[in-house]
Amino acid sequence: MKRSWQILALLLVLMLVVSSCSPAPAGDDPAEPAGEEPAEEGGEEATEPADEDAVVFVAQGSDAVTLDPHGQNDQASSRVRVQMFDTLLMQTKDLEYVPLLATEWTQVDDLTIEFKLREGVKWHNGEDFTADDVVYSLRRAIESPSVGQIVNMINPDKIEKVDDLTVRVGTDEPFGPLLAHLSHPAISMVNEKAVTDAGDNVDITPVGTGPYKLKNWARGDYVELERNDDYWGEPAKTKYITFRNVSENANRTIELETGGVHIAYDIAPNDVSKIEDNADLTLVRDANFSTTYIGFNASKEPFDKPEVRQAINHAVNMDEIVEAVYFGVGNKAAGPLGSNVAFANQDLEPYEYNPELAKEMLAEAGYPDGFDLVIWTNDNQVRQDIAEIVQNQLQQIGINASMEVLEWGSYLANTAAGEHDMFILGWTTVTGDADYGLYALFHSSQFGDAGNRTFYKNDRVDELLDIGRTSVVEADRAAAYQEVQEIIREDAPWIFTWNGEDLVGTSNKISGFELHPAGHYRLHNVVLGQ
Amino acid sequence: MAKNVATASASAPVVADKKRNQWKEVWRRLKQNKMAMLGLGILVFMVIIALSADLLFPKGFDDQMISRRFQLPNSEYWFGTDNLGRGILDRMVHGARVSLSIGLFAVTISIVFGGLLGAMAGFYGGKVDNIIMRSLDVLLAIPSILLAISIVSALGGGLFNVMLAVGISSIPGYARIVRASVITLKGQEFIEAARAIGASDKRIILRHIIPNALAPIIVQGTLGVAGAILSAAGLSFIGLGLAPPNPEWGAMLSGGRQFIRDHWPMTLFPGLAIMITIFALNLLGDGLRDALDPKLRN
Repeated sequence: MKRSWQILALLLVLMLVVSSCSPAPAGDDPAEPAGEEPAEEGGEEATEPADEDAVVFVAQGSDAVTLDPHGQNDQASSRVRVQMFDTLLMQTKDLEYVPLLATEWTQVDDLTIEFKLREGVKWHNGEDFTADDVVYSLRRAIESPSVGQIVNMINPDKIEKVDDLTVRVGTDEPFGPLLAHLSHPAISMVNEKAVTDAGDNVDITPVGTGPYKLKNWARGDYVELERNDDYWGEPAKTKYITFRNVSENANRTIELETGGVHIAYDIAPNDVSKIEDNADLTLVRDANFSTTYIGFNASKEPFDKPEVRQAINHAVNMDEIVEAVYFGVGNKAAGPLGSNVAFANQDLEPYEYNPELAKEMLAEAGYPDGFDLVIWTNDNQVRQDIAEIVQNQLQQIGINASMEVLEWGSYLANTAAGEHDMFILGWTTVTGDADYGLYALFHSSQFGDAGNRTFYKNDRVDELLDIGRTSVVEADRAAAYQEVQEIIREDAPWIFTWNGEDLVGTSNKISGFELHPAGHYRLHNVVLGQ
Repeated sequence: MAKNVATASASAPVVADKKRNQWKEVWRRLKQNKMAMLGLGILVFMVIIALSADLLFPKGFDDQMISRRFQLPNSEYWFGTDNLGRGILDRMVHGARVSLSIGLFAVTISIVFGGLLGAMAGFYGGKVDNIIMRSLDVLLAIPSILLAISIVSALGGGLFNVMLAVGISSIPGYARIVRASVITLKGQEFIEAARAIGASDKRIILRHIIPNALAPIIVQGTLGVAGAILSAAGLSFIGLGLAPPNPEWGAMLSGGRQFIRDHWPMTLFPGLAIMITIFALNLLGDGLRDALDPKLRN
């Protein structure tokens, strides 16, 4: 008897503990801002004037993996690194090229571009930025297993220093989107001496030329950045920026609401209205370069038949998925590229939801009674929700679908090995150029790990993708990409699902925050007001 | 339970009579324990509901309709609907089958294997004991939930693998309990007597030692079902359990997590179901311990 009551009491206590289990209790966390007055809890900075030691707190869903730009190419790391490192040039949100470390560039011939470098740029360690750094950085990037594929069309032997402030970069074949690839934040410039000195610690000793430098990194928890006062451009407006790792979506929103952070990345779609309805907060949203798709295994029966793939496209009510899973955020996809990507075909129509037609098409393809299939997904709530809805809808046209959740590593390995029927994955066209969003995913030379996990092969598609990639004439590229998107839409190696939208919540005290469709936002113009 | 034993051993009236009295006595004492009876009542209720799920809740667990999602409890959907418009109660009832069977089978696995290994170790002693118990110590050194996670990650999800993982991870506990009781029993006169009239080892273990070592196993098993349900819910919560749309309680809880501020029924009801079941099992387990303990006999 007595034991039972003890257990009951214990259970109640446990419930209380679990229910109050938000990420880090205020005060315990060194990175915790003091809401209204950040100066109050700042410790060593507490004596300085409030505007001078302003700290902007940013929450994102995971911590950086490495601060070496040529290390992992993950979004969380990228978002921190882009504050500390510069690329030669960058793309604005409208995909215009603007100079960063290179001030101008000229196409010398079909294979070579010459870059004039900016004068008077200093590394965080005090060294001068020169052409040698560019040569070193590009070669290092090409050799990197994580980011090499972004620039491996460049021949390392054709990266030449012309003089201290001039570099030529050459490819073996003409490569149309080369500037877009050099704008990729993973192709940031690094300092040779710093990298060599750091040795195995290169992950945690970033030395760049950017507006911020590293102050402190508590792995798994937060990264503190400090303004680089020797920045070559206009110095950053806020002295300190701290990136906090708040993995739970709901907690990120709560942190924003309670003033724990000033900017929260990746707001969950179901929290949109909470931020929009809050007078103290602003939701910044815009279409990004990401797309989510459900891929077929086109090398496997019955998915090798385009009719079957088209039928399934007709059988899935994508409007319902966008509404149920994404709460109306983003857009239903019509083809393989979002409409904001360069060379996206704006005339594609999404597949119409028509289960009757789908049934007829299945019958014509020789499957009047449907068949069994398994939809694979990784442990990602959004993808699981999509899979649940799709398997339910496929049942209505007689396809007996089930789903299986795989751990991320084996998910990637098994889809690369072609053991799947259908799978759900995403892709971000970071460079904003059609080549990045199509070549790896649909070219038959890219089967498996390289990106084409649908094992889709169409000779005409290969040919057009090659033209788009190797031509340096805009009009030729445009024509090739228009056609290739029509073919892909028709052949349907995917169920075209969803084009993403960036959702960032900011406190109204913040000004100067701007989105970028590639997902890494530069924060040097952000100001924290009162 | 008493009834089962009685019918099963009806062919051997003399033994049966004695046994029936013994179990009757336990049942009588258990009945006096109101909390234990409450626990038993809750469990019986849940089992009946789970068994008749198709009859009582014919909508099934995957009846999606986006237009009716996020309903609060109402006359048609007593516990409201989830993010895909499925009745939460419908899913929970069908999920009860999964959760309860995981609990039962996982514990069966651990009792059978743990019991056999423990009995062998305790009975033979020496090298056999050393080999078995040291191997189990290796298992014991790994926290059981961690072990379960590793097993599921290696084998993949699915009902059977989850049962297996949870079952295997608690084998060492049962082995130790059985071994301890066997060592105590082994020295007693009735075993010596059995040996003296030429009974084989197998017969002594199966007919004399195991029945007498049953009491602590029953108690541990009842509590173990609670632990197993909780472990399975935990595995599902972190995405290693059954594949959706199967309505495992832990998975439902996890799925509702992102809507905890918008739609409380998705987390509250599955959470309550887990809590009440565990609580009922603990009450019953405690009651059984008291009822089976010879020292507490009135």
